[in-house]
Amino acid sequence: MSAPLVEIEDLKVRFHGARTVHAVNGVSFRLDAGETLGILGESGSGKSVTLKTLLRLLPENRTEIGGRVRVDGVDILALKGKALADHRGGTASMIFQDPMLALDPVYTIGDQIAEAVMRHEGASAAEGRARALDMLTRVRIPSPERRLNAYPHEMSGGMRQRAMIALALACRPKLLLADEPTTALDATVQIQILLLLRELQREFGMGMIFVTHDIGVATEVSDRIAVMYAGEIVETGTVRDLIRDPRHPYTKGLLAANLHGAVKGSRLQAIPGAPPALEEPPRACSFAPRCPVKVSGCDTQRPPAITPGAGRMVRCVLAEAALQPG
Amino acid sequence: MNASAPIPRPPKPLLTVTGLTKHFALKGGLFGQSRGVVRAVDDISFEVGEGETLGIVGESGCGKSTTARLLVDLISPDSGDIQLGGKLVGSELPIRELRRQVQMVFQDSYASLNPRLTMEDAISFGPMVNGMARNAAVRLAHDLLARVGLEPRRFAGRYPHELSGGQRQRVNIARALAFSPKVVVLDEAVSALDKSVEAQVLNLLTDLKAELGLTYVFISHDLNVVRYMSDRVMVMYLGQVAEVGPVDAIYGAPAHPYSRALLAAMPSMDPDRRTMEAPLAGDPPNPINPPPGCRFHTRCRFADAVCSMSDPGLYTMGTPGHLAACHLHIPASGHKAAELAA
Repeated sequence: MSAPLVEIEDLKVRFHGARTVHAVNGVSFRLDAGETLGILGESGSGKSVTLKTLLRLLPENRTEIGGRVRVDGVDILALKGKALADHRGGTASMIFQDPMLALDPVYTIGDQIAEAVMRHEGASAAEGRARALDMLTRVRIPSPERRLNAYPHEMSGGMRQRAMIALALACRPKLLLADEPTTALDATVQIQILLLLRELQREFGMGMIFVTHDIGVATEVSDRIAVMYAGEIVETGTVRDLIRDPRHPYTKGLLAANLHGAVKGSRLQAIPGAPPALEEPPRACSFAPRCPVKVSGCDTQRPPAITPGAGRMVRCVLAEAALQPG
Repeated sequence: MNASAPIPRPPKPLLTVTGLTKHFALKGGLFGQSRGVVRAVDDISFEVGEGETLGIVGESGCGKSTTARLLVDLISPDSGDIQLGGKLVGSELPIRELRRQVQMVFQDSYASLNPRLTMEDAISFGPMVNGMARNAAVRLAHDLLARVGLEPRRFAGRYPHELSGGQRQRVNIARALAFSPKVVVLDEAVSALDKSVEAQVLNLLTDLKAELGLTYVFISHDLNVVRYMSDRVMVMYLGQVAEVGPVDAIYGAPAHPYSRALLAAMPSMDPDRRTMEAPLAGDPPNPINPPPGCRFHTRCRFADAVCSMSDPGLYTMGTPGHLAACHLHIPASGHKAAELAA
């Protein structure tokens, strides 16, 4: 097997400030080239922080990062200066929820894409321009020649999202990081962008990490899904395994809360309570206070990472019990 | 749980909306001239039966939030009537009374609360302004907090920033109930909450409805949530009603091509049956200068010549109470497919 494109081992991220927040607490996963991993989680689960670590976008002076992060064989946590700038937008690129914040309002779309190509590939202005036109065509922006000279505010929401994708993919990154890129879009536009990303990912052979809180969205784009809770991955598996046979009580709760197929008039199986504040690193199972099937020991011990099958991991003592014969 | 049996035809209408219209002038042209008109809500009519939940769905700019604001008189309509319990608002029923009996819960739980008022003060403020003695109002606030699942002793003295999003939304619901309203308009009230918390609040809304005999107007972009909560569903597009009907008819046999597209755009929950083709191309058009005729014809795959010329208007489909505004279904509308079917 070839070396993975992304390899994260025991990643820990802690923010210091008025109070300390243990945002990511020992996350490990790998992503192969051309594969899509969906990271599913609610607000504060650490999914976006994990993603931002891969581009080193977190504020340096307030963030303490531990563990190992390698992308395409390069140690990301050791990158500095020009090497870091080469990594951002060259090897790995990111798209965000709000394209208005990702695009520069005072430059045209064409200039922004051309600039990235010139910076990363040493291309001429004309070559950069040609690549920009090619990219706008690939993301299916109507009349791309005209849109090259458009400013971000002159475009509709869906069109801006396409322009941001064009910018992110202009230098053919090996890894695309997507941070809830369709959350702010209308339903009929969201599905267009999801299909476009799925297609471009295949066409360019990129690895993609797609962060979302929406199970349906994760199902549409992912090969594998990792479910995060309180800064930890509580379950991973192929999208089929995870949707059809969720093993962690939190994953089960999330699937039920999606209301897909919920019977009207029946009571929803809501997960009680709220996620923990993360002011301290977890010493037990973080989900135990809300867990409907908690057993003794859940409140005091860290749950083991169980591997019930190939490519599958569940962080729950009950998954362990289920594996033992008798 | 008392499962709500399928409600046949809307019971006695509690809220009747007729020809409601709201246009916003766009300012900011040279010398402050108007640069055009946003036709946010354009001549819509519907009823909400007593004790039922009407779901409203549609994309941004379709007018669902403007409709909500018109219902509680946060903004005044340009034309059209609202009747509450058979009384015409403005003449037979004072607007002040409408504002008591129709309450609203908004999406942003934080912006909805005054940061300088404790939860107790936030809930008792309205009743006190309306003449309730302070003691009684505070007692009411405590009762309501308990009712929405927040222990008064712990939460009455807290400020909004000391609560989680789900807790704040419970307070907003409690405040909406302080006047014992007949109707509660929920405008994306659970959309900002995390999924696990959203389910808790939906359960609360279901309980309150049963206990207090409330009527809901439930606005959301989440079609799964609307299906779960609603008895009837209204689909809006560019300020007009595209389709309205019993929830099973809308989800099981949507008649309007836009309703079908909206449902087909929901992400699949089955990894083996992913969406292969986007049901619609492009963005929803701007409600400034909407297209003539059927407003959806510019994006509709069934559009025919007649669609750009005349507005179809709502037409009754097979199921009672199921109406759709589409030439496809209107015999002799001039639409080719309609002729073939006839």
